[in-house]
Amino acid sequence: MINVKKTLLYRTINLLWTEINDFLITLGNIGKDFLCVAKTLTTLKVDKKALIEQCARFSVDSLPITLTIVAMTSIIIAMQIAPELAKQGAGNYVGSLSALVMVRELSAIMSGFAIISMIGSSYASEIASMAVTEQISAMRVLKVDPIEYLIVPRFLSGVVMMPFVVIVSTFCGLLCAAIISNLTAEITYLNFISSMWHGLFIKDIFVALLKSSFFGGTIALISCSCGYSTRGGALEVGTSTTRAVVWSFVAIAVWDYIFASVFYL
Amino acid sequence: MGIEVKNLTKEFSGKKVLNNISFRVEDGETLGVVGFSGSGKSTLLKIICGLLYPNSGEIITSPKDADIAMTFQYSALFDFLTVFDNIAFPLTQRKEFRNKYSREELKEIVAQKLKIVGLEGIENRYPSELSGGMQKRVGFARAIVTNPKIILYDEPTAGLDPVSSTLIENYIVELKKELNASCLVVTHQLSTIKRATDKAIMLYEGEIVYKGSTKELLEGANPYTRQFVSASIKGPMKIKTL
Ligand SMILES: Nc1ncnc2c1ncn2[C@@H]1O[C@H](COP(=O)(O)OP(=O)(O)OP(=O)(O)O)[C@@H](O)[C@H]1O
Ligand SMILES: [Mg+2]
Repeated sequence: MINVKKTLLYRTINLLWTEINDFLITLGNIGKDFLCVAKTLTTLKVDKKALIEQCARFSVDSLPITLTIVAMTSIIIAMQIAPELAKQGAGNYVGSLSALVMVRELSAIMSGFAIISMIGSSYASEIASMAVTEQISAMRVLKVDPIEYLIVPRFLSGVVMMPFVVIVSTFCGLLCAAIISNLTAEITYLNFISSMWHGLFIKDIFVALLKSSFFGGTIALISCSCGYSTRGGALEVGTSTTRAVVWSFVAIAVWDYIFASVFYL
Repeated sequence: MGIEVKNLTKEFSGKKVLNNISFRVEDGETLGVVGFSGSGKSTLLKIICGLLYPNSGEIITSPKDADIAMTFQYSALFDFLTVFDNIAFPLTQRKEFRNKYSREELKEIVAQKLKIVGLEGIENRYPSELSGGMQKRVGFARAIVTNPKIILYDEPTAGLDPVSSTLIENYIVELKKELNASCLVVTHQLSTIKRATDKAIMLYEGEIVYKGSTKELLEGANPYTRQFVSASIKGPMKIKTL
């Protein structure tokens, strides 16, 4: 007789089932927390001090890494395209192409990645360790709603500050692209800037800002929610943080796809 | 009447941790809860303060929405806030108190509570800069800052030196009188039972094996309490490794 429970098929199905189960539970938790946050927001009562604190943290703390990543990306792109385009006699298009790529896609998504690694992971791990050391239970016993106290300010700071982060990083990225184009392909700054405006529409800027707001809110919500539902000990704090990062990455990729197909298809 | 617990049952993944428990605690009365490690004492307190749901049974408090405070076995201080902000937390964050107290008033209240637990002047320190026993006492101060009507203490004196223990025990008695509160004290320490409680229950394998006065618990002939008080390995109760 073979032991059914030891067969590869059984174990594979079992593992798959656990994964699906995990997925659904995480999705459910995020949905539930979002509803709670939304409910609190409808009362329009937000702790201003906590909100300002979180906003500062979201933007200022993350800015060095965000700027570095976005700047590097745009430098690499300019390095690749500027000499090529100049060779083909299309040097006038370097500015508009850079602006298009940065504003429509790269700044928001690269800033998103930077924010996930800087801010999302720290939200998840700090809230998770509060959960496993009973600090969240203590908060409930003291009749302070942990969603309102911990998650709402973080969520709002994501929604509000992410567009600013993206604006700053886009400027920084384009500046770097202009310098690199000038150095590698002798495209003048004036040329770069005037060409930039030809490639861009108001719609692009509007969509980029809206999208970054969605990214910020999503990253903050997923990170907080993954931390909040943690049970167990140090090991689970690690698992939750990983889960928050992975889910945030996937979520902003999905958002990006949705935005691209809604606004540009 | 302060708290009434009726036919409470709680299971964790099929294992009955509390099995049909009933008792009541009147206003101005302190009930001690003793029992082996793992007998469900902390679980009982968490159900009473609403952190866990029972599988069956009910908790009746009077008044119905009574302010229930609890001190945690492992303090559960907010490690991102100073001692001052920890103790003032319910007063600054809870809806009903928000903006009710000025900074000066808060300072005064916190200083007074810290004095009670013998820790004057540590307002600006963070929990990680305190010893375990100090954290415990800060947790105690935070729990009582709102003058609650029902107070649950989970091992308030575990890990404290005998003198600090006496300080806390005396204060449990004093506070109960002052607020006419109903209290539950979970403890392993006989000195705490003796000094701070009026009556007591003992839990074993999910059931109440003793319910009566503290004096009777300490001196009576009940085989369970006898074994517990004399710390004997021989008796009706066996420690199981689960
Ligand atoms: N969240 C949980 N999930 C599963 N089992 C649990 C959970 N919490 C407690 N238990 C189990 O319930 C039992 C009672 O736990 P509890 O913490 O109430 O014990 P206790 O009497 O407070 O012990 P101690 O004196 O050591 O603090 C233990 O056997 C424990 O394994
Ligand atoms: Mg316990």
